[in-house]
Amino acid sequence: MIEEVTLTIDDVLVKAVKGISVLDAAVKSGICIPHLCHVPFLSDIGACRLCIVENVNNGKAKITTSCTLRVQEGMVIRANSEKVLKLRKNIAELLVAHAPNSRAIQDIAVRCGLKEVRYPFHNANCVLCGRCVRYCSEMWQGNAIGFVGRGKDRHVEYPFGKRPDTCKKCNSCVLYCPMSVTPCGEVMKTGEEHLCGKCDSQMAMAEKIPGACVWCETGKSFQCARYA
Amino acid sequence: MNSTNLETILEGRRSQPHQLIEVLQDVQDVYGYIPKDVMGIVAKELGVPLMEVFRVAKFYKAFTLKPRGKNVITICTGTACHVRGSQLLIDQVQGQLRLKPGDTTKDGLFTVECVNCVGACALGPVVVQNGSYSNHMTPGKLRRAIDKVQGKKKEESPHA
Amino acid sequence: MPNIKQAGDLETLRQKIQKAHKKFPKTITICGGTGCQASKAGEVIEKIREVILKQGFGKDVYIRSTGCHGFCEQGPIMVFEPGNILYCHVTTEDIQEIVDKTIRHGEVIERLLYTDPVSGKKNVKEKDIPFYLAQDRQLLNYNRLVDPGNINDYIAIGGYMALAKTLGSIKPAAVIDEINASGLRGRGGGGFPTGRKWTECREEPIDEKYVICNADEGDPGAYMDRCLLEGNPHLVIEGLLIGAWAVGARRGYIYVRKEYPLAVKHAKFAIEQARKYGLLGENIFGSGFSFDLEVARGGGAFVCGESTALMASVEGKVGEPRPKDIHTVKEGLWNKPTVLNNVETWANVPSIMLNGASWFAVKGTPGSKGTKIFALTGQVKNTGLVEVAMGTTLNNIVFDIGGGSKNGKAIKAVQTGGPSGGCLPTSLFQLPVDFDSLSTAGSMMGSGGMVVMDEGTCMVDVAKYFLNFLQDESCGKCVPCRLGVERMLEIITDITEGRGTAEQISLLEDLAETVGETSLCGLGKTAPNPVLSTLRYFQEEYLAHINEKHCPAGVCKALIQYAIAAEKCNGCGSCKRACPHGAITGQKKQVHIIDLEGCQKCGICIGECKPGAIMVN
Repeated sequence: MIEEVTLTIDDVLVKAVKGISVLDAAVKSGICIPHLCHVPFLSDIGACRLCIVENVNNGKAKITTSCTLRVQEGMVIRANSEKVLKLRKNIAELLVAHAPNSRAIQDIAVRCGLKEVRYPFHNANCVLCGRCVRYCSEMWQGNAIGFVGRGKDRHVEYPFGKRPDTCKKCNSCVLYCPMSVTPCGEVMKTGEEHLCGKCDSQMAMAEKIPGACVWCETGKSFQCARYA
Repeated sequence: MNSTNLETILEGRRSQPHQLIEVLQDVQDVYGYIPKDVMGIVAKELGVPLMEVFRVAKFYKAFTLKPRGKNVITICTGTACHVRGSQLLIDQVQGQLRLKPGDTTKDGLFTVECVNCVGACALGPVVVQNGSYSNHMTPGKLRRAIDKVQGKKKEESPHA
Repeated sequence: MPNIKQAGDLETLRQKIQKAHKKFPKTITICGGTGCQASKAGEVIEKIREVILKQGFGKDVYIRSTGCHGFCEQGPIMVFEPGNILYCHVTTEDIQEIVDKTIRHGEVIERLLYTDPVSGKKNVKEKDIPFYLAQDRQLLNYNRLVDPGNINDYIAIGGYMALAKTLGSIKPAAVIDEINASGLRGRGGGGFPTGRKWTECREEPIDEKYVICNADEGDPGAYMDRCLLEGNPHLVIEGLLIGAWAVGARRGYIYVRKEYPLAVKHAKFAIEQARKYGLLGENIFGSGFSFDLEVARGGGAFVCGESTALMASVEGKVGEPRPKDIHTVKEGLWNKPTVLNNVETWANVPSIMLNGASWFAVKGTPGSKGTKIFALTGQVKNTGLVEVAMGTTLNNIVFDIGGGSKNGKAIKAVQTGGPSGGCLPTSLFQLPVDFDSLSTAGSMMGSGGMVVMDEGTCMVDVAKYFLNFLQDESCGKCVPCRLGVERMLEIITDITEGRGTAEQISLLEDLAETVGETSLCGLGKTAPNPVLSTLRYFQEEYLAHINEKHCPAGVCKALIQYAIAAEKCNGCGSCKRACPHGAITGQKKQVHIIDLEGCQKCGICIGECKPGAIMVN
């Protein structure tokens, strides 16, 4: 017997199977919560922080990631409040300023309503979302790649930098990498990075209906939980 | 000799993944660093993926993957030492030994490291030389301490 | 080897030890903590033992090598009883004279007495020293009575009596009531009510539970936990035992930083001793309660002070925090209910159980009870560990106990709470220090570091220092902490190097909010505090860097230049010898010159120049 709970997300009553995450519950109900490190069938680590929501308890709102938050009966969630939208936009700004050469990240930035980047661009080739690492260890028990180092030195690497025998060459690490889809047009050269901002219609929707799923192209090509 | 050491370290800890950090601590103490092949053995014996052993060894500052020099100079850069000029000490060694913190001199005589706090804050700036603490360090004192070691090396070298 | 099977055995043993101690008419207490060892206390202790034996005083003098007294600046410290005479900065050369004069004749050696830097007066007795007088050393006082390597010393002062009382007559729920009533709050930083944490853990209907002592103390500039664990490990063990009884745990861990080798050694040894005495293990005091402890060594990662990261580290994994949507009191170590408290919190537990909650709650403010130990360091005359009742003002701590400015420069701020805390200006020094007042002021209690800063400290540079620290120590898992701190540092670096703009200040504030609100763990959530607090109280320093390209404290290298004043230079050549970069030239007895290209602006030459000819512009 599947147990269901009822919770409120953005003033809408949502029924969800007990045990699933708030992110899954919202996305299944057509409420958009942008996310990057979450992949429907992998564990959630709460690394990208894009999917933050306000969990309102006794009148107090606490910011937390919805991918790691389990649904509970009577829960009140604000997934697209003014505060959440602002914070989410700032996180998207950090991401796109760090790694602009990804269509997924550029699209997420648009979806979060980002129009201007206030930092000098870096041209990093990894945002440490850990999709590859989790796919490798959780789907294949490959443990061929992992997060190595800490702080600014954290990166994804093979043990001792050499591909181990446990790697099954399944290529999932590439398929699931948000950096593997380059922006529309050309790859941005160092010094020429910019916010793509070509999708006027996307931007208009991000401004008018930030909380509604619009079956965006990002989601389709990028394993959004809505398409799962 | 190395294998007996490792044998002692692993004794009673085999197939216990949670002993990983403790084992690596002992390896670091005995060998002075974590050799690559030892990590492979540790992974197998404890039942931990090699990836995880590598990750742990790279995450914690207590572990070094390269052999260290004969003399390890550790400069405390905790807040209390910082406001009392630990940066001057770093400048001193950088200038004198031509290396960055974390590196070892080519002759293998010195390794210079920084540590975030050794907990002797009232006596800052503090420098630890091969496990022995020196307080109220000044660039001058540090220069003389390094000179002393280098001087000894010159005396010893004809016999080497 | 005494095997304690019931409360009566402990009492008998205690009387026996006290009697044995009384046989010695004289006692010498020598501090052998890490601080004093840095001042060569080890050699002093060895030497005095040798001389005392040689001179035939072996049966008259009891020599106790103790843990840290907290008066590290004056070390090595020696206290003589009877007489309560305190000698400081004792060296091996003084030992013969000390034995001849002080031990043999009770004569006081003037030279070795402590001179109060404020009044210039000498103090004979330890108890008259102003540094101690203004304190309330409820916890630290034990350190001078106990040899951390000798469980008997701890038992002699009433150690493990609280445990005997608790296991004998207080039910677990009543223990928690007592802790709740005492108002004890976590000393590690956040100030979470200890009793509430224990209650939540106790209510979990699972048999396997854990208690952990957090002795990671990665906060640079704080060392009270080192001092307590290193100096009086049994006090912490007794606290853990009582906590384990209260929540129903059978196993515990003490997680100690590897950078504290002496604390690791003492904690391990104390656990062994307690096991031998029957105070750890099966059926303690015949109560049916069993508990055992282990030491886990930290690997040098500040983030492991965070509860979930610490637990991952105990499990042998990388110390990455995980989201705390489910608290560790429910799913902690190995996903089992776990109570994690800081060293100082555990150390407070035995005396609360022995003397009662109301005894503890007498001291402090309405929201923060008891005493708190602070590590007073930086630019003050008296540095060391300071224990005062909660609610004592910063003025009291910095000026009455600390003796004020060290080198005549005006004090301008005190940094509390380490990388998670903030800088408070002198205008707030009348603030009574407790958990709530500090966080209202934009700082934090943290574990209790207090670094005093004077006019020679640049506040923008302080913010930069902490950001550098955090960038290095962040685990790097979540975006706001990893990328946000990196960007904050980028902006602050711009400012300290003269490229700052006025808009960057509002960007900093906006970014700080995002990092603080959205980071995964406590490290990230508090990471903006050093920036926000300096922006709030010292904005004029930021503006001087931005608008005038000037560093008022003369610290930021890009904004200063060194030069030698020709009229003051005597051509001695000390600066030339001292410069590690070879940037100073000049002939003997001639005016020397700094080559601006080669000068790395390290400032080493200033300290070496006797006539004071080197200027910072």
